[in-house]
Amino acid sequence: MDKRIKLEIKLPLVKDIELVAIEGLELMGRHLQIAEEKIGEARILITEGIINAIEHSENTTPFIDVHFIMNIDALVIIITDYGKGFDPSSVENPEIDKKLSSNYKRGWGLKLMREMSDEFKIDSSEKGTKITITKNLR
Amino acid sequence: MRLDFNLTSNIENNVLVIKTEGYINNDGGEKISKEFEEHFTKGINKVLIDIKSSKVINSIGISYLIEIIEKLNEKNGSLYFCNMDSTIEKTFNIMGLFQFAKKVDSVNEIE
Repeated sequence: MDKRIKLEIKLPLVKDIELVAIEGLELMGRHLQIAEEKIGEARILITEGIINAIEHSENTTPFIDVHFIMNIDALVIIITDYGKGFDPSSVENPEIDKKLSSNYKRGWGLKLMREMSDEFKIDSSEKGTKITITKNLR
Repeated sequence: MRLDFNLTSNIENNVLVIKTEGYINNDGGEKISKEFEEHFTKGINKVLIDIKSSKVINSIGISYLIEIIEKLNEKNGSLYFCNMDSTIEKTFNIMGLFQFAKKVDSVNEIE
């Protein structure tokens, strides 16, 4: 039997909508009896990915697409927005000592996703951005 | 899981103890910051955030905590955290928060 389970949702661009995706993640995690620690880390990945997609993309559609594919070994998270795209190499890597003296204390999403994940890929063009995150669950 | 944000606070041994409940997002961070400011302007410069009942946090909420660290640093104060779950601790580690804030088991550890 294929133990892989999937969730595909269109999320409207609504404040705190990431909580809907997190609810789905937790249900899937409980179903496959994934360790709470791994689900907790996936929660951060999903939260940051969705916030980035909604806040920075200037989306041309009223939704973003979020897909989860999970089995007992790994979770793949795909978050797609239909905004203006961006060049990942142009995003400055945040450092705490610089942020402390800066008026802009945000901008941590990409760093958290890169470091909390096991694989992280960004495909971005002027038609939108797709991020693919793999999190090992064992 | 409790997701709507709430907090309670009290002063113990001259330390402002803030207990959070729910999602620390933009609104949650702002509420923590407001509570901090109220006591900071009265001279409190040690703050403990008990994060036991907050399982979901985002980097926007954390940016308010960085702002609190900055203000405390200017007054030789300190920010402490207790009751973090492993995910939040890892998140703070990645962001480098523990270079400027400390993890404690309880308010009694703060001198």
